[in-house]
Amino acid sequence: MASGRRHRARSDGDAAVSDERPVPRSLSPGARIGTLLRSLVVQGSWNYRSMLGSGFGYAMLPGLRDVFGEDRYALERALERHVDHFNAHPYLSGVALGAALRLEADGAGDEAIRRFKVAVRGPLGSLGDGLVWATWLPLVALAALAAYGLGVPGWGSALGFVLVYNVGHLGLRVWGLRVGWESGRDVGAVLAKADLAGQTARLQPWTAGLLGVVLGAWVAGERGLGGLSPVWLVGAALAFGVGVAFGHRAWRPAAVVTVVAVVVLSTWGVLS
Amino acid sequence: MEDVLLLAIVGALLGLDATSVGQFMVSRPLVAGVLAGAVTGGVAVGAGVGAVLELYLLVSFPSGGARFPEGATATVVAVGTASVLAGPAALPLGVTCGLLWGQLAGFSVTAQRKFNGRLVPDPTGVTAAQLSRAHLSAIAVDALRAGVVTGIGLVVARMTVTPLANGWPLDIEESRALLLMGGAVSLGILVNDLGGIRKRGWLVAVGIALGAMGTLL
Repeated sequence: MASGRRHRARSDGDAAVSDERPVPRSLSPGARIGTLLRSLVVQGSWNYRSMLGSGFGYAMLPGLRDVFGEDRYALERALERHVDHFNAHPYLSGVALGAALRLEADGAGDEAIRRFKVAVRGPLGSLGDGLVWATWLPLVALAALAAYGLGVPGWGSALGFVLVYNVGHLGLRVWGLRVGWESGRDVGAVLAKADLAGQTARLQPWTAGLLGVVLGAWVAGERGLGGLSPVWLVGAALAFGVGVAFGHRAWRPAAVVTVVAVVVLSTWGVLS
Repeated sequence: MEDVLLLAIVGALLGLDATSVGQFMVSRPLVAGVLAGAVTGGVAVGAGVGAVLELYLLVSFPSGGARFPEGATATVVAVGTASVLAGPAALPLGVTCGLLWGQLAGFSVTAQRKFNGRLVPDPTGVTAAQLSRAHLSAIAVDALRAGVVTGIGLVVARMTVTPLANGWPLDIEESRALLLMGGAVSLGILVNDLGGIRKRGWLVAVGIALGAMGTLL
């Protein structure tokens, strides 16, 4: 780990804290691994008050120990900054973790660090939701469902899903922590260059195509409607149309109708 | 009933994956179904139940502070219920239990988050030890919550639906078709999310043709 010595003075209300301490130019391997592993549990204490804040502080501890060494007072003052309210997509929280650690290592002031976290939390949430929850997860899940519908054993479809999904998942986490640390407060420019929104847009046609494959496999296959009366196919087509027309508003009524249909049929069967 | 404890442990671990630990998505219904099926000795049943629930929950994401059906514990309950039912009733009754229990389990997630708010320390004067203790405690409570929710769900679902299984009037293909009609709504919603039928319709159509041809191979 390379270290340099610089004057550290906080530009905020904590201006009295001015000291000389070695500031790491790079996190130690232990701190990097520790931060990465803790980022996996960043949502462990998710709550409506500070949201990701407490998990964010917990994940920063290995890095903060690297930055502040034996200075427990400075470490705990830094912790106060990071336990406060924060939210982001969990897979991209590493971007903010790395960048915030870099700001701490560079001796940025309390206010600057707080402003930085406020600035990045919205984009890291919306970019992650769009890329991961709305695109990558359905894409890989549809691929697994298509494989299952086409006759791949259930365990094989599930295993393939977990392996492929987590290549993207863990890759994003490792990349995020690295670019966050390397870019510090300039991480916004790196995120813009990475064009995560563009990646989302490029993946979406594949998701639509795979959705069609799932429909085709379930309509014609043995694990779907294949060989049944066309009435079932018409019903499925109408249900699909309801989903297209009404979007998410249709989900709960559809689930309720399914549950009611099963309960009515089974009760009728018992009584008759 | 001895498998209830094992399934509750599986539910606890998968419940953790959903939000608190990792989010490797082993908590998704397709994977959770196979894992629960491995415990009950019926991987094929588990995969069948998991695939149908995956279709339903395809548009349900663990996003932000939203309340969503908890797929992991719901799937374990669904598979655990289906595993004790014989014949064509296993799939529809298992999936129905999963859909209902997913909603109830979603309330327990909300309660856990409120509890976490009281558990985590105030930022002012927080120490590393206090923070670590609170964070790890919240994870332990989440595991306990998911395990208890799964265990109770299994006991209640098995007691409730077992008497209904014998009268189920549809055969196994029709039962699956009935469930897939509800799942088709989720696929329609996803097309909507991806830009609508006008923008993505031709891609979906190409996919349908490929998928249908794939079943012939």
